[in-house]
Amino acid sequence: MAQQFDVIGSRAPRLDGPAKATGQAIFADDLHFPGMLHGAILQSPHPHARVLSVDASAARRLPGVKAVITAAEVGTIKYGVSPARYDETLFATEKVRYVGDEIAAVAAVDLATALEALSLIKVEYDPLPAVFDPLEALAEGAPLIHDEFPGNVCAEVHQEFGDVEAALAKADYVRTDSLKNKRQDGGFIETHCAVAAPDLNGRVTLYSATQVPHYVQRNVAMVLGLDLSKLRVIKPYVGGGFGPKAEATPLDYCSTALALATGKPVKMAYTREQVFLHSRARHQFIHEMTTGVTRDGKLLALKHRAILDGGAYTSFGIATVYYSGSLLGGPYRMANMKYDGLRAFTNKPACGAQRGHGGVIARALFERQLDLIAKELGIDPVRMRLENMMEVGDVTCNDLNMSSLGMRECIEAVRDGSDWGAKKGKLPRGKGIGAACGFFVSGAGYPIYRSETYHSTVTLKVDEDGGGIKVLSASAEIGQGSDTVLGMIAAESLGVPLDLVRVESGSTDFGVDLGAYSSRQTLMSGHACRDAALMAKNRILGSVAAELGVDPADLDFKNGVLISLGPVLDIAPLRTRYRKEHRGWPNLPDGEALSFAEAARMAFLAQGSIVGTGQYKPPQLGGKYKGAAVGTSPAYGCSAQVVEVAVDLDTGQVRVESITDAHDCGRAINRTAVEGQMEGSISMGLGEALFEEVKFDAKGRVVNPSLGEYHIPTIQDMPAMKCIVVESDEPNGPFGAKEVGEGAIMPTIPAILNAVFDATGAVITELPLTPERVLRAIREAQGKE
Amino acid sequence: MLLPRFDYQRPRDLSEALGLLAQAGDQARPLAGGTDLLVNLKLGKVTCRLVVDLDGVAELKDVSGPGEAPSLGALLSAAWLAKQAGGLGLMGLAEAGGVLGSPQVRNRATIGGNLCTARPAGDLCTALLALDARVVLAGASGRRELPVEQFITGPGLTAIAPGEILLAARPAPGATAGGSAFEKLGLRRTMEIALVSAAVWVQSEADGRTVKAARVALGAVGPTPLLARAAATALVGRPAGTEAFAAAAQAAAEAARPIDDHRGSAEYRRQMVAVLTRRALERAWSRALEATA
Repeated sequence: MAQQFDVIGSRAPRLDGPAKATGQAIFADDLHFPGMLHGAILQSPHPHARVLSVDASAARRLPGVKAVITAAEVGTIKYGVSPARYDETLFATEKVRYVGDEIAAVAAVDLATALEALSLIKVEYDPLPAVFDPLEALAEGAPLIHDEFPGNVCAEVHQEFGDVEAALAKADYVRTDSLKNKRQDGGFIETHCAVAAPDLNGRVTLYSATQVPHYVQRNVAMVLGLDLSKLRVIKPYVGGGFGPKAEATPLDYCSTALALATGKPVKMAYTREQVFLHSRARHQFIHEMTTGVTRDGKLLALKHRAILDGGAYTSFGIATVYYSGSLLGGPYRMANMKYDGLRAFTNKPACGAQRGHGGVIARALFERQLDLIAKELGIDPVRMRLENMMEVGDVTCNDLNMSSLGMRECIEAVRDGSDWGAKKGKLPRGKGIGAACGFFVSGAGYPIYRSETYHSTVTLKVDEDGGGIKVLSASAEIGQGSDTVLGMIAAESLGVPLDLVRVESGSTDFGVDLGAYSSRQTLMSGHACRDAALMAKNRILGSVAAELGVDPADLDFKNGVLISLGPVLDIAPLRTRYRKEHRGWPNLPDGEALSFAEAARMAFLAQGSIVGTGQYKPPQLGGKYKGAAVGTSPAYGCSAQVVEVAVDLDTGQVRVESITDAHDCGRAINRTAVEGQMEGSISMGLGEALFEEVKFDAKGRVVNPSLGEYHIPTIQDMPAMKCIVVESDEPNGPFGAKEVGEGAIMPTIPAILNAVFDATGAVITELPLTPERVLRAIREAQGKE
Repeated sequence: MLLPRFDYQRPRDLSEALGLLAQAGDQARPLAGGTDLLVNLKLGKVTCRLVVDLDGVAELKDVSGPGEAPSLGALLSAAWLAKQAGGLGLMGLAEAGGVLGSPQVRNRATIGGNLCTARPAGDLCTALLALDARVVLAGASGRRELPVEQFITGPGLTAIAPGEILLAARPAPGATAGGSAFEKLGLRRTMEIALVSAAVWVQSEADGRTVKAARVALGAVGPTPLLARAAATALVGRPAGTEAFAAAAQAAAEAARPIDDHRGSAEYRRQMVAVLTRRALERAWSRALEATA
């Protein structure tokens, strides 16, 4: 019989709902401290130039300026995301490599003064030839951006599993297709912000709008030469991240350095334009894939090449270029896969991780190609996917283990939920339907830096009076609902209602948590939280059992009261003791069963404070080949979508009318939060498919650095969405749970492309689907008919 | 992105407003909805010592009564137009008001602001051009009127003189005897600057078949909203319908002077002028028949 849950699987309202709905939630920019200074960063106007000199003397003399820092003051310790590619310094010394590269920072009594001071810093540049296109950057004779990286090759990957050429030679049908996207922006509402507040004992608290307090703490301490014990990072409420907030920003480093230099709190924030200049968002990918199948559509081999436009620095780029290949290992059975990936440096802001890290465009092309193959072979594309699908227990050719996989259930759910059979091939011209699948990690198997560290620790403390529970976690609630998920896991594990639980998160003082990236917190932080709660519960039950003279194994809590799995309990003596302590109090527990509060109080009286701790790190995962770590995860989420579109055949405008979405999230901890992630993923995927493109002029400047000109979908652009939660029971997840935050985006772009193809016959090889591009493709397809 | 310091005045009538502007000369800027002025002040594209908020000048929100020639006060908002202009027989203007910006922007953006900002893609400018509207200007030396076509002189440039205030836009007295429509093409469905727009006005002869008069205006395909006279010529005196509309659409496409930019190519814009003009004509014609009946 399926396990019954009291809290998990419900639609419990978010713990942060009231604070956010009433505007009381505190974000970094809401913070004010007495004497607080305001900081600003001087950024390069050149895409590529030698820095001959930096003269900040006039800025230092401006009344109201409290500190100016350049490389001379903060040093040139190199940092980045992966220690294998530390290629950034806080301030440029010899060269600037993109419009926006940092030169200096200022702290002043107000922002206007800080900005005026920036204008007084004299920088002598010697402009160098710049290169903006990744293919041009890789060509012979291109301007060299980093001396250490000949040919502007940031990272390359060459992997082969099985024997691709031999398998392709045996295939009945082989085809090659290509797809490229455009650089994306995260489009979060809250721009990056950091406030560093020093105390009188040489310590600093850095409040940062980040997804990763742990990595911010490590990097800022490393770059500024601080003991980790001197730096605490606190993440206030965060208004969205999606990946570009998953690394320490120059604001984090500069505000801390300026706070130390002045002894005053310093606030710094990016304007929207600076968010585009900092970037660290989705790369531009250029993919080419050759796939071979048998005549009945069985997948035999995939040969895959990718070039990534990385921008001026590595950021997450090594992981990105690996993910682009490795995530195609699933969810279909395919024994032979070859991948050649290359990330190029260009004189543009650095790209990094964004929802569906590295895998989104690769997935889009592969799922697009499956439809083209199905059409050529005369097979229904949904049936072809079902026939190639992996099952639970399968291991991909690149050693990813499908410990649970509700992929088949997802496809069947969207097929039936969209009435696919009645529509596919039967819609009038201009209307189309398309399907696609997706697949993603549920937490990266390894930390960004090589370490045997726990990925998450949780401390759970029961109030001494027994009335409530506090969960302390260093995890990052960034709007996705992780605090609520941890609260629900703690409540379920303890056997108490959710309203007894308070969740405090986002501070490095609360332990280690690698943060909100790679869709890891529900599984990893959730594991640690469950174990902390079970430890605390066992301590309470141990004391109560001793008092009652029963075996602790016969006791448990359910819905906030003590239950016995064995003998009938005589709770009267314990209740009497509790009542004596609360003489004069109204509303004391008086039910037949002992309440959690009474039990926890008895445990405190016997043992002192009741604290439980939990920690989690994944077991050894993956194969032994180079790069095998990227793509490993304790579990994999999967999803399928069916999209229906209407295409205006005169203008090329694509209207996505409906999306039927199914996602296997293991077990849903909070159903509303799962659906929220599914809908949010659709919005981001739809935007990337139809609208989004960061554009540059010939001088490397962003042309559209605003949410007016960089088009993310509005509510009017969103389709009707039917979100179907498919639950598998993931053995490696707490209560069977796994990811939904990123995997849910995977099918959206290819399903839209497949639907547009169904509607028009247009083969589109470049995103986004601007009306102009679609109309051109429609006319080309008509020309071939 | 900080709003610079400036003085702020909110006059209670027109003469006080004109006096403040005259006194401060080119150091003053009138404020209507502020959707452009405040952004440009923050960006440093506009600098001024004094902002004169026109919101207290009641006359600027006047609307002509039923039966009168249409006159629309400069401070009427795009949201107001979206709701009310249809009732005045100016559906094209209502449609333009309804697709400008977002609900928040529409609540702030005004007719006068859209005209004085004079963007090539200005939704209200294009719709007013099709209605053969004139603008009423008031200055220290009195009032004058100009056709919209002469008022807008270039991208962001108008014939308004220093110290003048735009009081009202007045569609041609006969505008309500015909039907109008507005078509806009953009990437997304809202918060969008037109890639191309087309505004048309047509009037039917008493026979309900023949086009008596027509005007076709095009947005975002020239340095200013353009009047496609050849498109009107292709319609007038001919029976309304597919053939005439196609000829007018073709003429409009030929009249367009689009450029390549990061939003789209000139060639695509030219093609879309034809599509949008035809669609707008179909809708405007059915409205023209209602106006004639």
